[in-house]
Amino acid sequence: MKISYKLKDKFDFVVFFSVTVLLIIGLVSIYSATYNHPTAKGNLNKQIFFIMISFLELFVVFLLPARTFRIMALPSYLFSLLLLIMVLFFGNTIYGAKSWMSIGSFGFQPSEFGKIGLIFFLSYWLTNTKIDINNLKDLFFTVLIGLVPIFLILLEPDMGTAIVFAGISLVMIFWSGLDLFGLFVVLSPGIILFASLFGTIPFLIALLMVIIALFYFKQNLFISGAVFVINLATGFIFDFLLKILKPHQVSRLLSFVDPASDPLGSGYNAMQAKVAMGSGGLFGKGFLQGNQTQLRFIPEQWTDFIYCVVGEEFGFIGSILILAIFLVLFLRLLNLTSLARDKFSKLTVVGILTLLFIHFSINIGMNLGITPVIGLPLPFISYGGSSLIANMFLIGVVLNIYRNRKHNI
Amino acid sequence: MKENYFGSSLRRRIVFIVIVGMISIQTFQLVKMQLLESNKYEEKSKDNSIKTVQINAPRGILFDRNLEILVGNKPSFTLQITPDLYDTSNSKIIESIINVKSGYIKKLLDQYRNFSKYKPTNLMRGVNYNVISWFEENHSKLPGLDYIVETQRDYSFGVNASHVFGYTKEIGREALKKSDDFYSIGDNVGFSGIEKEYEKYLRGNKGNEFLVVNSSQKIVYRHNEGKSDIPAIKGSDVVLTLDYQTQKTAEELMKEYKGVAIAVDPANGEILAYISTPQFDLSDFADITSNTLWDSLRNDPSKPLFNRGTLSMYSPGSTFKMLVAIAALEEGILDTTYSVNCNGGLQFGNRFFKCTHFHGKVDMKEAIEESCNTYFYKVVLKLGIDKLSKYAKMFHLGMKTNIDISPESSGLIASREYYDKVYGKGKWSDGNLLSIGIGQGEIITTPIQLVQYTALLANNGVTKVPHFGKGYIDSKTNEFVSFHYDSIKTNVSEKTFKFIREAMEGVVSSAKGTGRNIKLPNISISGKTGTAQNPHGKDHSIFIAFAPSNNPKIAVAVIVENVGYGSTYAAPMAQKIIKAYLEKDKKKDDDLLKINNEASN
Repeated sequence: MKISYKLKDKFDFVVFFSVTVLLIIGLVSIYSATYNHPTAKGNLNKQIFFIMISFLELFVVFLLPARTFRIMALPSYLFSLLLLIMVLFFGNTIYGAKSWMSIGSFGFQPSEFGKIGLIFFLSYWLTNTKIDINNLKDLFFTVLIGLVPIFLILLEPDMGTAIVFAGISLVMIFWSGLDLFGLFVVLSPGIILFASLFGTIPFLIALLMVIIALFYFKQNLFISGAVFVINLATGFIFDFLLKILKPHQVSRLLSFVDPASDPLGSGYNAMQAKVAMGSGGLFGKGFLQGNQTQLRFIPEQWTDFIYCVVGEEFGFIGSILILAIFLVLFLRLLNLTSLARDKFSKLTVVGILTLLFIHFSINIGMNLGITPVIGLPLPFISYGGSSLIANMFLIGVVLNIYRNRKHNI
Repeated sequence: MKENYFGSSLRRRIVFIVIVGMISIQTFQLVKMQLLESNKYEEKSKDNSIKTVQINAPRGILFDRNLEILVGNKPSFTLQITPDLYDTSNSKIIESIINVKSGYIKKLLDQYRNFSKYKPTNLMRGVNYNVISWFEENHSKLPGLDYIVETQRDYSFGVNASHVFGYTKEIGREALKKSDDFYSIGDNVGFSGIEKEYEKYLRGNKGNEFLVVNSSQKIVYRHNEGKSDIPAIKGSDVVLTLDYQTQKTAEELMKEYKGVAIAVDPANGEILAYISTPQFDLSDFADITSNTLWDSLRNDPSKPLFNRGTLSMYSPGSTFKMLVAIAALEEGILDTTYSVNCNGGLQFGNRFFKCTHFHGKVDMKEAIEESCNTYFYKVVLKLGIDKLSKYAKMFHLGMKTNIDISPESSGLIASREYYDKVYGKGKWSDGNLLSIGIGQGEIITTPIQLVQYTALLANNGVTKVPHFGKGYIDSKTNEFVSFHYDSIKTNVSEKTFKFIREAMEGVVSSAKGTGRNIKLPNISISGKTGTAQNPHGKDHSIFIAFAPSNNPKIAVAVIVENVGYGSTYAAPMAQKIIKAYLEKDKKKDDDLLKINNEASN
């Protein structure tokens, strides 16, 4: 019993097993989604190959010295920025976004690795003793760390990943103790941007609310003025944003509002996903028995719409099981934020938690018709090498942090 | 109170609530979709992937009274178009292949715009095999185009009888709205004649085939291995009263003429032969009928679409004289010995009513045999309008017979009320009556009324409504179910009928009889010639007859338009029809005998 106690002490079985179960569910679902597909049958083998690679990677990362990630922080961030710039010049366009790099026959998405760089560097930056997040100048630089990759990703353009980057930055800053005014400064441009999506009048109302809020915070005139100008400018960025959004992204956004308006256009996927989920019922139609899945009503179902394979073929039981496993994983990660040895590790775990949670929320949400169809894969379940390698790397980091939780540097 | 420090417990709690909150919302949505509303989604998913294909039932066969096929079925190819999948840039080539005007497909698609665009719609029925093999070769390049094998009517069995059988047609949009749920767009429906009247027997039950299709509507496999398919049930076969041989004879006889020939079994009103000429060729109606054909049929001055047998109204001419005689005898106004001296006509007021000849002194029998007008002028004057119209009514003249094909005209029998209405009370004289006495003037009957009248004369005043439908063979139970018809009865004594029969026999058999030219050595025919005066041209030749005289098996009415006197054209035709029917069995026996002899030799 002593050995097992020691092993348990060094290795976070909860995280490891949750992820392993999710990977297995993923393989089963990919098998089903590609079973009747003429060209995607090889995807299962590719995924198995990537899973084997990623386990190797996970154990390597697990065994790395604790300080490696802090040392890696700045170089990995800068390297990911370099990749994100390179992809704009040398990348391949897939589904309207220039987000893929290929080296020989091997393709990957730089933005997946950009996430790792961002998390490490933000953790490093925010836990630097010289940084006071509630100092507006420091806040500005912090936000800039997030905005640079977001800007590059919007140029691809890949809205989903940009949202993930924004979310990671926001939550990590939040976690670092940003006060209410700072939070307002960070969030208000986002609200303005969102409001201006709906037209001029919502934009003006939001702007008015910003002015009221500024009076409430009673900051000095220079700061208040600067915040107002930033907000005003954001509103006009909307025009620019509409230009960089590809037509398919605009229509995806609109089809979320009313999926039935164009059942064979962009609302099609959302509608068919709901039909697949809903028709599963309590126990599902059985493995390989889902007609929505097997008759390919949802294109590329092994990627973003993998959840409805489970929903259709394993029903409510299967669907709720996945939610439960994710819940366990998320709460375990949240728990780790207090177990971890230092602030850097804690903040890294927060970043990883945020990354996985945003992917999870948006992906499950679009399968259930409660969020727009924004192309984000479901971690560990969706088919895709890049995101799997990146996510498993981060799980390796989590396990490493758990292993080193009682050590000092 | 200050909590804005790294990893404060409030912020940790907020993150916790966000995570649990999000997963709760997702769980609620899962419960809603998969547990509460799963039926709705299940329906949708079935609609999505299960395509229902209608299988049309073959129509029932039309048999003659001896179960010989009159109208059958043959396979035919129907090209169908699924608007949703169809690529309109292919229209030009398809239109040229199926040989229709350019723009035809566009027009068709516009027409069906309000119906489901996922459901195949008939593009063309009866497509020939070359088109189908071209289509097979180019199938992959022609999305949304498909063909099905159906049955269409086969009219190659030697009789045409276009007005009797009628034709089927794709159901129109208006008719579809009014019809019961049975029909859907593109269905064929009986449109005239027997096809229309017995539609509910002939149409059968449509079936459904459930096919599982993928997202591009391509058929993947049969749903539930075809076990849930509903097979189409062929329509019930309808057995008609027509006699194949008699019908064929009548058609051949009338081919060159305009007119009508109808034969019935006087005992029960069963129509043995029915021909209205000119006809139209039913085989032109087997598949889609072109507009040019329609136009040419509609504009043809000889009106081939017009069913003369039930619609055309002719004066009965001298065939009406028996009715006058019956009325006079039954009312006791005179007896058969009553004689008139015919000197070529009758002076009435300031007008001389002509007779055909100088008949000299004739009694009633002679007057019928020789068709003396003078005799009947005198009788009808004694009889008066009221009694005459009473007997006309008794013999169902001037009213619809309710034969089982439509439409039908009622004709006209003059009466006191009619004259009062047309001329005013007291403003008409017995002069009108004189014409009626010889079946001219304001007395108009349809040929089907005339044959019914003949049947009543032949069968002691008892018969049934004339009809084509004998019964149907239920396609589910294979049992024969007969149709029932109302009886028709007159209140005339047998003695009177006996006299009339003898007089009519005299028309053919006596030396001076007007129909003596059709006398047969082996069959005794009773008949009566008639001429319907035609103000627009040459008179119509009429002959009614039944045979054998003592035990009538067949009653015939023949009207040949614009040829003149009754005995010349109509009578020989009636004779040949009678012969064809009565000698049919004998001929069969002879044939058998011949075969036997040859075999034994």
